[in-house]
Amino acid sequence: MNMLQTNAVARGALNGHGEYDLRTDGAPICQEAIGRAKQRLIVGVFMFLAAFVFMGARTVELGFSERAAVRPVAHQIIVPSVEFARADIIDRNGEILATNLESYSFYADATMVDDPNGRAKELAAIFPELSEGAIASKLSSGKKYIWIKRKLTPRQHWAVNALGEPGFKFEREEERVYPHGRLAAHVLGYVDVDGNGLAGVEHRFDDRLASRQGLNDPLQLSLDIRVQYALADELETAMRAHQAKGAAGLVLDTNTGEVVAMVSLPDYDPNSMRGISDEAQFNRVTKGVYELGSTFKTFTFAAAMDNGVIDFGDSYDATKPLRVSRFWIRDDHPKARVMTVPEIFAFSSNIGTAQIALDLGSDEQRRFLGDLGMLEPANLELTEVGAPIYPSNWGKVSTMTISYGHGIAVSPVQLASGIAAMVNGGRRIPATLIAKNEDWIEGQSVISPSTSRKIRQLLRLAVTKGTGGNADAEGYRVGGKTGTAEKAEGGGYNRRALISSFIGTFPMDDPRYVVFALLDEPKGTKDTHGFASGGWTAAPVVRNVIARTAPLLGVTPASENQSHYQQAALLITDED
Amino acid sequence: MHKSITILAFAVAILSGFVVLQLKLSVQAQSETVETLARQIHRDREAIRVLEAEWAHLTTPSMLQDRSIRFMALMPPKAEQIVESPIEIPYRADQSKVVDPDAGVLLPPAKRLGANKEGRRREKLKRRELRVRFGSGAQEKTGEAL
Repeated sequence: MNMLQTNAVARGALNGHGEYDLRTDGAPICQEAIGRAKQRLIVGVFMFLAAFVFMGARTVELGFSERAAVRPVAHQIIVPSVEFARADIIDRNGEILATNLESYSFYADATMVDDPNGRAKELAAIFPELSEGAIASKLSSGKKYIWIKRKLTPRQHWAVNALGEPGFKFEREEERVYPHGRLAAHVLGYVDVDGNGLAGVEHRFDDRLASRQGLNDPLQLSLDIRVQYALADELETAMRAHQAKGAAGLVLDTNTGEVVAMVSLPDYDPNSMRGISDEAQFNRVTKGVYELGSTFKTFTFAAAMDNGVIDFGDSYDATKPLRVSRFWIRDDHPKARVMTVPEIFAFSSNIGTAQIALDLGSDEQRRFLGDLGMLEPANLELTEVGAPIYPSNWGKVSTMTISYGHGIAVSPVQLASGIAAMVNGGRRIPATLIAKNEDWIEGQSVISPSTSRKIRQLLRLAVTKGTGGNADAEGYRVGGKTGTAEKAEGGGYNRRALISSFIGTFPMDDPRYVVFALLDEPKGTKDTHGFASGGWTAAPVVRNVIARTAPLLGVTPASENQSHYQQAALLITDED
Repeated sequence: MHKSITILAFAVAILSGFVVLQLKLSVQAQSETVETLARQIHRDREAIRVLEAEWAHLTTPSMLQDRSIRFMALMPPKAEQIVESPIEIPYRADQSKVVDPDAGVLLPPAKRLGANKEGRRREKLKRRELRVRFGSGAQEKTGEAL
């Protein structure tokens, strides 16, 4: 409009009344101006029209658009996930074995505390382990940042908060907690103050547990905490009763190689690692290697039968001790007569077994033990794994002693997985601590299924008729072999210091679990008539463990089918 | 006319502005509630972790054994106390032979009986009916067997 006016002022004339007269003398100029104004208006109209068309189109588009395209405010709020620096460890049933919990460390700003002595009194009541005087001197030191206590329990945290002192402050930290305490300590291991795994599974899977990727995705072990407890409880009782220096035990699934329980005594509480001796931290099941004695005869018999060297019907002369260079091989339970193969096994004759090994040959024995994994460290998911000890010069003497478990030292976990292969149809399955969620694993074949069946007969008869009678848990068809070895000491053997063990497996008609128990230097008691051998000390542990855990493991008791063992049983005569 | 339309439009504009403002405020309040809830859920989840750890600690087998010995006098089961299948229990009705499709008849009477008289009466009737059915069923079976 301004433009119009100025145009009019410029081109139009003033009429007599002092006003612009657009109609008279200024008419052509006016017409021109109006025409131009219309043109300009049309531009404006089109602009508005375009704007309205756009808005209309947008409205229609919004009407047809997807609802999800518009996110309500509430949808943008996400529940912050509970994040911890280290993943949990759980057992095969989901029971928590190790977890990270929030904990608070308590520090004070001494400049803000008005009444140090009064506050110190209150704090000493909350933390009985701290002295009142020490707290008072800390609080009156005038420093801005003084640690009072690290890692408070939730209750202590609450109690300090309830004091309402503005000078008391907390720093959030994380604490590794093992709710089951000592139970499975050697499997789990422990962590340092900063949460780095230092032993056991914590150490072996440190990267996996601390990784940010599989965040809070728990690590599931093959352990069953209930079986673990039964084994630990029985071993502890036996260890106390026989005043043994230590004990070790293992329950292994024969079909999957999963370790269901693993106990090494003495043990420790991973929750408080201060002042724990090296001996308590030593894992006897995996790190410890022992000459395990007669349990090794199982392997000699399996190798000899699988190679067709012996069969049930054969017999060997065990009338008098064998002399090998400067050693005598004697029997612990001498029968002093010719014995059949099942008798040699059931009565645990060293003389007979040594002769079988000679017939088998050194090379074949070595190859067989190598196939079973006895000559290399166990492939278990722990860093504490001991290497077996065996003679570099595998001569005739070694062959004979190794046949009954002397002169070769292996860890209990190696022995147990070897025995599992003997009874599960000859499949060698490496032992594992990680839950597999499988029922059956096809392993590397080491002996034929028919040999495996014969070994089952022998193991069962060693319990029913031989040295392992104390392991016979009623109804669960336990088979097994005793082992009693003298400890090597200064080049010779110490007759007083024994490693007594028993390896059991059940149920014998379809073996599902191998149970191993070992006592380090047990002493005979009145109940065992002074004997400290495997059949008297370790076998009862295996019996009790099986009786307690078989119902948990889903093995139902049944009456025995004697015909399974008839073939071998008929070859055993009990009278001397 | 013109004026009233203007006033109406003005009023509508004010009103809608007010409503939009109200809506915005209530959305704000709601989203604050949601945020509080989210924080609460987070705190609860953390608390659940603590409780789970505590539960694991309190139900550790040694603790349970101790409680069981002190308060319950329970012993580990003996082999003869465990049966593999219910068929092994003597004098027990063979379930595979039950004709009545109503599973309720196998439950102990106390569970399916109402405490009132009516329930008991109905029960009686039902039992009589069953007896008739069972009896005839059994006869049929023996007949077939012969």
